[in-house]
Amino acid sequence: MSDVVNQGAMMALLAISPLILVCLTVIVVMLSIAWKRNHTLSAILTAVGLNAALLALLFGWTLGTVDVTSVLVVDDLSRFGGVLVLMSTLACVTLAHHYLEGYEGPRDEFYLLLTSAAAGGLVLVSARHMTTLFFGIELLSMPLFGMLAYTFRDRGALESGIKYMVLSAAATAFLLFGMALLYAVTGTLDFAELGAALSTRGSDPWLLAGAGLLLVGLAFKLSIVPFHLWTPDVYQGGPGPATTFLATASKVAVFLVLLRLFQSTLAFHENWWHDLLGFIAVITMLVGNLLALTQNDLKRLLGYSSIAHFGYLLVALVVNQGLAVETVGIYLVTYVLTTLGAFGVVTLVSSPYVATGGTADASPLHHYRGLFWRRPYLTAVMTVSMLSLAGIPFTAGFIGKFYIIAVGVEAHRWWLVGSVVVGSAIGLYYYLRVMVTLFLHEPGMQRRDATHDWAERAGGMVVLGVATLVILLGLYPTPMINWVNWVAG
Amino acid sequence: MSLPLIVLLPLLGSLVPLLSSNRQRNLNAWSTALLPAIALGIVIAHAPGVVAGEVYHSSMSWVPQLGLDLAFRLDGLSLLFLLLILGIGLLIILYARYYLAPEDSMPRFYAYLMLFMTSMIGIVMADNLLLLWVFWELTSLSSFLLIGYWYQQSEARRGARMALAVTGMGGLAMLAGFLLIGHIVGTYDMQTVLDSRDLIQADPRYLPALLLVLLGAFTKSAQFPFHFWLPHAMAAPTPVSAFLHSATMVKAGVFLLARLHPALAGSQLWLYIVTLTGLVTMIYAAYFALLKYDLKGVLAFSTVSHLGLITMLFGLDSKLAVVAGLFHIINHATFKAALFMSSGIIDHETGTRDIRKLSGLRRSMPMTAALAGLAAASMAGVPLLNGFISKEMMLTETLESGLLGGLAWLIPVLATLGSVLSVAYSLRLIRNVFFGPEAKELPKTPHEAPFPMRLPMLILVGLCIVIGLIPAVIVSGLLDAAARATILAPRPELQLSIWHGFNLPLLMSAIALAGGVGIYTVRRNLFNFQRQFPQRNALMIFEHSVRRLLQWTQVTIDRLENGSLQRYMLWLIVAVLFLTGSGLLDLDQLQGSRQPQPLDGLLLAGAGITILAGLGTAILHRRRLVSLMMLSVVGLMVSLAFARFSAPDLALTQLAVEVVTVILLMLALFFLPQRTPKESSGARVVRDVLLAAGFGGVVASLNYALLTRPMDSISGFFLDNSVSGGGGHNVVNVILVDFRGFDTLGEITVLCIAAIGIYKLLNRLRLFMPSSDSEGRPWSRDLHPMLLATVSQSLLPLALLVSVFIFLRGHNEPGGGFIAGLVTAVALILLYIARGVDWAQQRLSFQYQPIAVTGVAIATLTGLGSWLFGHNFLTSAFGHFSIPYIGEIELATAMLFDLGVYLTVVGATLMILANLGKLTTRHRPSKENEKETV
Repeated sequence: MSDVVNQGAMMALLAISPLILVCLTVIVVMLSIAWKRNHTLSAILTAVGLNAALLALLFGWTLGTVDVTSVLVVDDLSRFGGVLVLMSTLACVTLAHHYLEGYEGPRDEFYLLLTSAAAGGLVLVSARHMTTLFFGIELLSMPLFGMLAYTFRDRGALESGIKYMVLSAAATAFLLFGMALLYAVTGTLDFAELGAALSTRGSDPWLLAGAGLLLVGLAFKLSIVPFHLWTPDVYQGGPGPATTFLATASKVAVFLVLLRLFQSTLAFHENWWHDLLGFIAVITMLVGNLLALTQNDLKRLLGYSSIAHFGYLLVALVVNQGLAVETVGIYLVTYVLTTLGAFGVVTLVSSPYVATGGTADASPLHHYRGLFWRRPYLTAVMTVSMLSLAGIPFTAGFIGKFYIIAVGVEAHRWWLVGSVVVGSAIGLYYYLRVMVTLFLHEPGMQRRDATHDWAERAGGMVVLGVATLVILLGLYPTPMINWVNWVAG
Repeated sequence: MSLPLIVLLPLLGSLVPLLSSNRQRNLNAWSTALLPAIALGIVIAHAPGVVAGEVYHSSMSWVPQLGLDLAFRLDGLSLLFLLLILGIGLLIILYARYYLAPEDSMPRFYAYLMLFMTSMIGIVMADNLLLLWVFWELTSLSSFLLIGYWYQQSEARRGARMALAVTGMGGLAMLAGFLLIGHIVGTYDMQTVLDSRDLIQADPRYLPALLLVLLGAFTKSAQFPFHFWLPHAMAAPTPVSAFLHSATMVKAGVFLLARLHPALAGSQLWLYIVTLTGLVTMIYAAYFALLKYDLKGVLAFSTVSHLGLITMLFGLDSKLAVVAGLFHIINHATFKAALFMSSGIIDHETGTRDIRKLSGLRRSMPMTAALAGLAAASMAGVPLLNGFISKEMMLTETLESGLLGGLAWLIPVLATLGSVLSVAYSLRLIRNVFFGPEAKELPKTPHEAPFPMRLPMLILVGLCIVIGLIPAVIVSGLLDAAARATILAPRPELQLSIWHGFNLPLLMSAIALAGGVGIYTVRRNLFNFQRQFPQRNALMIFEHSVRRLLQWTQVTIDRLENGSLQRYMLWLIVAVLFLTGSGLLDLDQLQGSRQPQPLDGLLLAGAGITILAGLGTAILHRRRLVSLMMLSVVGLMVSLAFARFSAPDLALTQLAVEVVTVILLMLALFFLPQRTPKESSGARVVRDVLLAAGFGGVVASLNYALLTRPMDSISGFFLDNSVSGGGGHNVVNVILVDFRGFDTLGEITVLCIAAIGIYKLLNRLRLFMPSSDSEGRPWSRDLHPMLLATVSQSLLPLALLVSVFIFLRGHNEPGGGFIAGLVTAVALILLYIARGVDWAQQRLSFQYQPIAVTGVAIATLTGLGSWLFGHNFLTSAFGHFSIPYIGEIELATAMLFDLGVYLTVVGATLMILANLGKLTTRHRPSKENEKETV
C-alpha cells in the first residue's frame, strides 16, 4: 500500500521536476549573487538550470498524464507548453546576457525575474484548477513588471513597467471577481468539475458574468481587442529581452491555459459564446493589422502584429472542433519561433544597452534602414521572420496560417476565414515595408547596429538557429506536425 | 522521372547568376540561360508523347499530413504553358542582357527572374491543388522582387507592394477555396479533383469554393474590379513586364481557369460570373488603353483587356470557346511580348515612353518599327496574323452563346465593340510613335538598338506571322493536347485556317477594323470627353484609399492609444462594464430566494457613515491627509461591522491592521506633497464619476444578487470539527493554526520575506526631511510632545500584557498569535512615534530581523516536529493539563505554532515601520551639511 503511495508520489515528483528545477535555479542564482556578483556566471547558471529543466521535461515525456495534486496536471499538453516556455526563456537568457552588458545597474537580478516568470509559465500550462491558474498568472506577471521596468532610468522602460502593472492589476481584479462568481454559482474551482456543473445549468447570467470576467483577465494578457491597448506601449518601452519574453513565453502559457479551460468546460461550447468569441476574433485580427499599418516603430509594429496573430489563434478556439487543437499547437510553435527571431534581431541591434533618456532600444524603423548593407546575416534573420509572420510558403509561418484557414474552412466560418484573408493581406503590406526598409540603400537619420561579434554571442547563435528552424519547418514540417498531433491526439 | 527536373533546373538556375559578377555580362547571361534551356529540351522531348495523348505524372510525398505532395504532371495544358514560359523566358534573358544598364545588378535580376520562372513552372505543372497554391504564392513573392527591382524608386516599391497585397489576398482566398474543394473531394490530387465534377457541383459548398477560387484567379489576371494593380506594376524594368504580362504572371489566373475548367465549369454560376467579368474587363480596359499616354500604360491596359477576352472565352459554355481561349493565350503571349520589347527598346534608345513626345521613329529605327507594327497589327486582329484567327474564333463563339437569354445579342455586340477599341489603340500606338514628323527634344538621340536586343522580337513576330499563315500545321497538335486536358474530351472539330468564307464573324472583324480606324481619327473628341472626368489613376485611388485607411487608423490610434494610462483603464472598464452589465440585464430579478437579514437603526447608521466616509475619501482625495482620515473611518466601520456580525476575531485583526496601515501611510505621506495637483477637467471628472458609479453599481448588484441566492458554505465543517479536530473553540484561530496551518506557514514566510525586502530596499535610501508642509507652514518644533511620551511609555507594559493575554486565550476565545503580534507591534510603534527612533532604538537594542526569522523557524519546526511522532507535517496534538493555582489549561502544539506567527508579525511589522521612520531621523542631509560646515 505504502509502496503504491510512494510510487505515486515519485511519479508526481518526476512529473513536476522541471518546475522544481526551475525554482531551484532561482534559489541557486540568488545565492550565487549573494555570494559574488558575476554577470556571466549568473547567466550560465540560469541557462544550465533551464536546460536541466528542459531535459527533465523530455525525460518525463513517456509518463503520460500524471495528476500532481488536484490542482496541477502534467500531461502532453502541459509538456508541450513547457517546452515552448522553457525554450523561449532560454533564448531570452542568451539575449539578455548580451543586452545587459552595457547596463550599469545590477544585471544579475534580471535572471532571477526571468526564471521566476518561467516558473509561472510552467505552472500555468499545467493548471487545471482556478487557484493554479491564478497563481501561475501572477507568478508570470509579477516578475514581468520588474523585467519591463528593469532599466528604470529610461523613461520608456519605467513607463512600460508601470503601465503593465497598473492595467494588469485591474485585469487581475476582474479575473478574481470572475472566479469568485463562478465559485459562488458552482461551488467548485476545478476546471472539469466547473465544466460539469456549468453544463447542467445551461446558459445562466451568472455564467456570462463570471466566465466573461474570467476571460477579460485572460484576454488582457493575450492582448485581445478590446483589451489590447497596453500592448504597443509596453512592447515599445520594455527592454528587448523582457519584451521578447512577454511576446513569447507569457502569451503561449496564457493561451494554453485558455485552451485547457475551453476544452474542459463544455459551457463554452454554446453557440452564443462562439458568436461572441468569433466577433472578438474578427475585430482582433482587423484592428491589430490595421493599426500596425501606420507604425514607424518596429517594436510597436510587432506589438500590433502580435495582437493580430492572437486573433488568428482565436479562430481555432472558436471553431474548437476537428483540427482545432492541432492548429493551436502548430500555430504556437511557429509563432514562438518567428517572434523569437524578430525580437531577437531587435534585441541584438539594441545590444549592448545604452543609457538614454527616452527609449533605449533601437525600436524606430529608421534604425533599420539599410541594415542589410551593414549586417547581412542579421537582416536575413529578420527577413525570414517577417516572411514567416506574413505566412509566406517555405517558412514555418505558412504552415500555421494554412492550419488556421483550414480550420475555418472546415467549420464554414466564412466571416473568420474572410478576416484571416483580409488581415493577412494587410499584414503582407506592413511586413514588406519592414523588409524593404532593411534593404534600402540610403542610411537612416540615426542608426544603431548590432556589435560586430553578434553572431558569436550566444544570443546571436540562438537567433540564427531560430531562423534556420523557421525555414526548415517551412520546408519539412512533418516532424512538427507529428509531434503536435501526438500531443493533441 | 525527369519531370521534377523541369522545375528544379530553373530553381538551380536562380543560383547560377549569383556565382558570377556583374561585370562579366555575357557570361552571366549565357550561364543563366543554360539551365532553362536544358529544361526546355526536356519539355520538348516529352512533347510528342503529350501530343499523342500521354499524361506524365511524378509524385513524391512532402507533407502528407496536409495532403501536400510534390506531385507534377505534364499534360497538354502544362505543355502549352511550359513552352511559353521557357521559350519566352529564354528570349527575355537575351533581351535583358542588353537592356539593363551597367549600374543595374545583373546577377540579382537574373536570380529573381529564374526564381519567378521556377514558381510559374511549378504552377503549370502542379499535380496537387495545394502544391499549385504554394507556387502561386511564390509567383506573387518573386514578382514582387522583380517589380520592385529598381527599389531605389519609390514608384517601383509602391507598385510592387500594391501588386503583392492584391494578389496575395486573392491567393489566400484561393487557398480557402482549394481547401473547400479538397474537403468535398477528399483529396487534393489534381486528377481526382478534375474527375469529380459532378460531386463538386452538387455540393452546397460549390458556391463558396467557386467564388474563392475565382477571386484568386481574377486578382492574378487583373480582371475588373481588381485590374488596378497591373498598370502600376509597369514600374518594373521592361523585360520583367514583357515576361510577367505576356506569358506568365497574369496568365496564371487564366491558366487556373483552364486547369480547373473540367471540375468547376459548366454551371450557370460559372457561365455568368466568368463570362461577364471577362466581357466587362475587356471593354473597360480597352477604352482606357486608348487614353493612356505612357507606352507601357497602353500595353498594360491592353493586356488587361486581352485577359478579359480570354476569361470571357473560358466562361462561355462551348468547347470551341475554350479552344479559342487557349489559342489566344499563345497568340497574345507572342505579340504582347514583342510589343513590350519594342517599348523597352524605344524607352532605352529615346529615354522616354510618352506617346505625346514620340513621333516619326520609323526613320531612326526602321526594323523595330516594322516588327512593332506587325505585332500591333496582330493585336488589332489584322488578317494573315495570328491575332486575327483567335479573334475570329472569339467572335464566332460570342454569337453562339445563350447567355443573357433574350439579350443574347448584346454579347457579340459588346465583343465587337471591344475589338473596335483594340484596333483603335493598336493603331494609335504605331501611328503616333513611328509615323509623323521626326520627334524633337527627345532626351536621347534615337537610333536602332543592338541586334541581339531585336532578335527576340524578330523571333516572336516571325511566330505571329507563321501561326497566322499556317495555323493548322504549327499549333494544331499543341492545341489539341491542351484542349484535351482542359475539356477532358477530344478537341471538337475546328478548321484552323485563315479563310472561312463570308460569314457574320468576318463582317464583325471588318466592322472592328473600320470602326477602329474611325475611332482613331476622332480620338481628340474622346480625349476631350474624358477630360470632364477627374483624372482617375488606379494607383492614386488605391493609394488614396490606403491613405484614407491610414488616416483613419491614425485617428483611431490617437483616440485609443494616446499613451495615457487613464484612457486605457477607461476602455478596460467600459468593456468589462458592457460584459457584466449585459449579464445582469439577462437576470429576471435581482433579489434571489434568500431573505435578507433585518435592518436596524444602528446598522443603517453604520452603513451611512461608511458610505459618507467612502465618498469623502474619493472627493477629498486631493487633500491627502483629510482623505486618509476618511479612509481610516471606513476601516474602522468595517471592523465594527465585523464585530456586529459576530466575528470578533476579524474585528480585532482589522482594527490592528488598520492602525498599522494608517501609521504606514502617514509615514509615507510625511515625505510626499500634502496635496494632489488638480489634473482633471470638469468634463473628465463627470466622466469618471459616471464610470465609477456605473461600475460600482454593477459590481454591487452582482454581489447583492449572489448573496441573496442560496449557496452552500463550508463553514459548517469547521464549526463541527473545530473542537474535536483542533482542540479549540475559536474556529478562526483553529483554522489559522491547524486546518489551514500550511497556508499560514506560507503566509508568514512571505510576510517575513517582504519585510526583509523592504528593509533591504530602504537600507540605502536617504530622504530629505521636509521642515514644512507644501503650503509653507512649518511642522511643529516639538517633535516629541511630552504628553504622548508619558502616556505611551506607561501604556507599553499594559499593552504587552494584553497581547500576552490575547495570545494565550486565542485558541478558545477571540484572539490569537496574529492579533497579539499586531497589538505588541502597535504598542512599540507608539513608543517610536512618541520618543523618536533614536531614543527608542537605544533602549530596544535588538534587531527585528532575527525575531521575524525565529518566528518562521518556530512555526516550521513545530510542523516538522509532528514527523518525529510519525504523523504528517503540521499534525497538531493537544492535551488538557491541570496546573496548581491556575486550574485546568489546554495546551496544544498549535500554540507553539501560534508563537511563531506572533514573533513573525511583530518582527516584520516593526522592521518595516521602524525603518521607514528611520529614513530621515538619522541621515538628514541638512544636518550632515551643517556638520561639514561647522
